[in-house]
Amino acid sequence: MTAPMVNLTIEGRAVAVPAGTTILEAAKVAGVLVPHYCYHPGLPVAGVCRMCLVEVEKMPKLAPSCATTVGEGQVVHVYSEKALEARKGVLELLLINHPLDCPICDQSGECELQDYTFAEGRADSRYREPKRFNPVEDFGGDVMYVPNRCILCTRCVRFMDDLAHDEALCVQERGDRASIGKATEKDLTHPWAANVVDLCPVGALLSKDFLNKARAWELDRTASVCPNCAQGCNTIVETRDNVVMRFKPRTNTEVNQYFLCDEGRLDYRWLNRADRATQPMIDGVLADWEEAIHAAARLAKGATVRLVANASLSNEALYLLKRAFGPGVITVRTGAEAPLPGASDLALRADRAANATGAEWMGYRRVSAPLEGLGAGDVLVIADHDLTGVSAEAVSRAKAVIVIGTQVPAAVTAPNVVLPIANMAEEEGTFTNLRGRVQRFLQAKAAPGMARPSWFVLADLATQLGQPAVHFTAGAVFDALAKAEGAFAGLSYDTVALKGKLAAGATAGARA
Amino acid sequence: MAINVKVLDRPIADTSYLRATVKGMALTLKHLVDPHKVTVQYPEEKWTLSPRWRGTHRMLTTEDGTAKCVACGLCPTVCPANCIKLVPGEDEEGNRYPLVFEIDEFRCIFCGYCQEVCPEEAIHVGRHYENAEYSRDGFVYDLERLTAQTHPVCEMWDPADPKGE
Repeated sequence: MTAPMVNLTIEGRAVAVPAGTTILEAAKVAGVLVPHYCYHPGLPVAGVCRMCLVEVEKMPKLAPSCATTVGEGQVVHVYSEKALEARKGVLELLLINHPLDCPICDQSGECELQDYTFAEGRADSRYREPKRFNPVEDFGGDVMYVPNRCILCTRCVRFMDDLAHDEALCVQERGDRASIGKATEKDLTHPWAANVVDLCPVGALLSKDFLNKARAWELDRTASVCPNCAQGCNTIVETRDNVVMRFKPRTNTEVNQYFLCDEGRLDYRWLNRADRATQPMIDGVLADWEEAIHAAARLAKGATVRLVANASLSNEALYLLKRAFGPGVITVRTGAEAPLPGASDLALRADRAANATGAEWMGYRRVSAPLEGLGAGDVLVIADHDLTGVSAEAVSRAKAVIVIGTQVPAAVTAPNVVLPIANMAEEEGTFTNLRGRVQRFLQAKAAPGMARPSWFVLADLATQLGQPAVHFTAGAVFDALAKAEGAFAGLSYDTVALKGKLAAGATAGARA
Repeated sequence: MAINVKVLDRPIADTSYLRATVKGMALTLKHLVDPHKVTVQYPEEKWTLSPRWRGTHRMLTTEDGTAKCVACGLCPTVCPANCIKLVPGEDEEGNRYPLVFEIDEFRCIFCGYCQEVCPEEAIHVGRHYENAEYSRDGFVYDLERLTAQTHPVCEMWDPADPKGE
């Protein structure tokens, strides 16, 4: 049953929203941002910051728009003189004990206190007394706390209580001595605890990993998908000068809401590795792309091929590999599953690979020993697999080894052909998460040397192997894949867009 | 074939150099009795610079001699010539400081934006103009060089004119 619609006017704009919506959310529909600190769409409403005060006609006092539901015929003024005056007062009080250390604060440039003070606050302070001072505290995990900058919005406390179900944080002391504190004998060691850094609207909670590394305005942001587990959380990859600096969660209410787990967000350094395969090679000698592709095709043609693929390759790469060599085997690294209990169907999944579902739908077999039963005359094709736990002797049984990957695995001592490809931050493509949701990621940085996007290399290779695959974009590969593979029927690269789409192969009733 | 040259017959008063010579000598003699000096006897004598002169940079220091800079990154952001290289670091007490701070004075256009934007009043353009070096590398001033400078710094605004600010 859908809620009845309520009509109201916000800043002169008529909007209709379902009954029960807050004025703040209705204002977003009207395209008006009401300044706010304690309100966050992913957390329960607290109404403590008083920053979202708006004037509602016929109400005796200003109303906190995050906690006031809409009423029929309401007329809301967000920028009336009275509302602006009230918010200016709130900002002045918030800044009383604030150190104003924006030059050394990591949040600077993406700080809501900065933004709203610039937009609506006083130009100077009337406070002449000495400011309260508290030392910086280590909260454990990846989080550190700078109490002087804290505005006590309690977003972090509510996240730990209501989403993580781990009451590690609380407001300690009262009045102007109040600050956020750790509960007795608790640390922010919850596997999702680093989300409090993203939730913090000011620079009070900071990531130790990102501390002093870059300024917010230097970063380039690219929509992507976390490649570190099967959940497929939507992310923003933030890069500076072609180096991935951090992952941030990207809102997708169907998958990860507003969150990203600690393990996923901190595991980005491999995208910046310097020891990459950068040149196509034939028998250890640098070669042109065309020669290398032909050499690989000559080796594989007519031979028994053992294809070992990385389960974090894109759907496009896996599809073209299957076209070229037939479906191969994948291995999936596993770890402990770590759910975020307050969010439905959201966890750091046991499968620490981004696309095992997509691979299995296309007929790839999940094995633990990828080279088991490798025949002496076989051609081994390694598709971005690191061959962890495989010995060089096992590899040397193969007649020939073709490496299509970002690196040449240590177990491969003498690859016959090396075809360097881009990693997931250097190309675009799609992943299928464990619920069968196909999600796109975009290119965030340039590939090193002569490395090419995986779909580009594999389309050439498949064509040389008599499986014509002439595609000029990753999107074209995906559209061909959607036609060929039943599990992906009906999808297109454009409709998958940036929020993803459930594929036909997804289990019925799954929501992620 | 001869070119047709038109020969003008000008009056002697116009063509004589006597008049111009006397005029020039009169000016010379005037300076002899009224020495209106324009030439500065550089380097013995030096010009007094305007308080708003913007020359090569200087980094101011705190009492203990370390640079005031906190590596906030505003000067490389605002710099229109892209001549400031800054790598932030962190000391044992967790304070931000510049690990690398270099200004390429060849690239610099001496706009003074870096001084204007600096929240710590650390980097300044200087009232200084003698910048000769033996190599091009000498014009990339590192932090040590910037803090070692002693020349006075730019006022940015004319202190006598309150409207300037």
